[in-house]
Amino acid sequence: MTTTDTPRIVPPVSANPELQALATQFLALEARLLDEGREEEWYGLLDDELLYTVPIRQAAEPRSKEIDRNAFRVRDTKAHVRTRLDRLNTDHAYSEVPPSRTLRIVGSVEVEEIDRPDVIKVSSALLVYRQRGIDPHFDLIPCRRYDQLRLTPSGPRLLSREIVLTETALATPNLGVFL
Amino acid sequence: MTAISPETADAAAILDRVEASLKNDLVPVEIFNDEAVFRAEIEQIFTKCWVFVAHESEIPKAGDFVQRRIGLDPVIVTRDGKGGINVLSNYCRHRGTQVCQTDAGNSRFFKCPYHGWTYSNNGDLVGTPHMHDAYGERLDPKAWGLIRAPRVATRQGFVFASLDPDGPSLDEYLGGAGWMLDLIVGLAPGGMRVAGPPERYRLHADWKTAAENFTGDGYHVDTLHWSTEEVAVSQGLQMTCEIARIYEFENGHAFAGHAWTKAVHPGYVLWGYAPEITQHFNLSGLDEAQLHVVNHEPPTVGTIFPNLSFIRLNTPSVPGGPMSVITSFRQWQPIGPGEIELWNWQFVWDFMSEDEARDSYVNGQFTFGSAGIFEQDDTVAWEGAPRAAQSPWMRKAGMEFHFQQGNNSQVDQSHDPSWTGPGRKRNTGYGEHAQLHFYRHWLNVMRGNTGAGTEGAE
Repeated sequence: MTTTDTPRIVPPVSANPELQALATQFLALEARLLDEGREEEWYGLLDDELLYTVPIRQAAEPRSKEIDRNAFRVRDTKAHVRTRLDRLNTDHAYSEVPPSRTLRIVGSVEVEEIDRPDVIKVSSALLVYRQRGIDPHFDLIPCRRYDQLRLTPSGPRLLSREIVLTETALATPNLGVFL
Repeated sequence: MTAISPETADAAAILDRVEASLKNDLVPVEIFNDEAVFRAEIEQIFTKCWVFVAHESEIPKAGDFVQRRIGLDPVIVTRDGKGGINVLSNYCRHRGTQVCQTDAGNSRFFKCPYHGWTYSNNGDLVGTPHMHDAYGERLDPKAWGLIRAPRVATRQGFVFASLDPDGPSLDEYLGGAGWMLDLIVGLAPGGMRVAGPPERYRLHADWKTAAENFTGDGYHVDTLHWSTEEVAVSQGLQMTCEIARIYEFENGHAFAGHAWTKAVHPGYVLWGYAPEITQHFNLSGLDEAQLHVVNHEPPTVGTIFPNLSFIRLNTPSVPGGPMSVITSFRQWQPIGPGEIELWNWQFVWDFMSEDEARDSYVNGQFTFGSAGIFEQDDTVAWEGAPRAAQSPWMRKAGMEFHFQQGNNSQVDQSHDPSWTGPGRKRNTGYGEHAQLHFYRHWLNVMRGNTGAGTEGAE
């Protein structure tokens, strides 16, 4: 077996500590803005070409077939996100009246450089604690996110986000919160 | 009448109260979260009615399968090597271990992980490890095959199964709902296909509330969904009941349509589908009543008893954005008292280009998916009924839900005498008639009466 045939055990994570810090800070910032109900400020972090998707996951074999990237719960452009935020701002979007109390834990952040100098790939694990409205219980929404961040003079912007839910059937009744 | 099961006997006192309440257009709260009622529903309804299990487009090729549920029971819906569709119990005949552990796939065989009993995808037992030492001779492949749903039938590619060997055929059972299904998905050769696998989410709701809503509850639209009008995704929601047309059919099925050509403009026929879509339609097989319905008063929502519903509407996903007509079929899967899993499929026309299908799929999910700007509000509004049903105070107070909307209304709610289609039609969404129709049939079936033609007394 030649070295090129050796399975790559270590993913091509960036060794650049500045990029790692940049991405980690960005994810922490957007999580905090969303937890604090500052959606408009979060919206300012979205790239105009944003594509935000939640593909559908099923129990399947082999595992590579679990996620159908032609099937989705959500496939939002920035205009869709704008519509969602405008709706939330009406105060009549009842699934979020009052808004869910959330805590987003972001971890396992990995940064990968690609052949575009202004874009990096960032993978992270996200666990959202959600206590909705007057629910006596809380919901957990576990997922892994595969993002692309565009590096602009005014800071990173979310260019694309694919959210792979851990659950096949959501245990929370709706995706009224951003992941 | 069929025999009353022990579960139904436990619920009998509650059913007596339902019967008395329904005479006054009221529904007692306890049926929305009660262990005995739930067990009786599974026993009386889901093991006796025709239940939707899959669409043929989900299993197009030999060996394709999906795992589904009939009530609480897991079933495997397979396409076998001869092209046949099988609805098989997902319990090994040896010790009950589930032989299929995935939601979907393609396989010729299902092998039990416990002792290795192996079944063909038509359900036959085809392998038992150490056959000579263990059994001496081959076990009968049919007698020891996976237990099959006694009856399986399709309409427009929709696969239904019945666990009752007797009773009406699928077409008899569907009656007017089948007539309606034909014109919803059968307008073009090739019909419709699923846009993707079902999206699943768990709600703290009772399946009947969801089914009832989709029989024709237009009354909630301009309250619960008003935010969509405020952001200009919807227009004219306040007219929802006024322009509604209610179609009630035998066996508890009901649909609500809307008079779009009256409300929008005379040319707004066929749900407002764009010409590039309607050019593929062939309406020559429709009768006069169906032609009138699809052009002028087409079904918007509907429920096929017990738990399959649909919604079709023309919507932009963002204000001013491209319109597309979305078609979602959804199934309210009972999980336990006051708990359901919502299974939501978007459907697209088989002839659609990739872009047209994608647009319709995106708009469908943006409005009626787990993140849908309409649907997410329904998912929480429906949580109230099971909570009230569990309340000792509400039970003590004898709480009944109010379905008396039609009793003193000034709006004419009589049956349309000019209606020539099946069932009956009313030209208003006021009156909660479709919902009462659903609950009256529910009571009949819970009482063990599953024959065709149970319309419920009015």
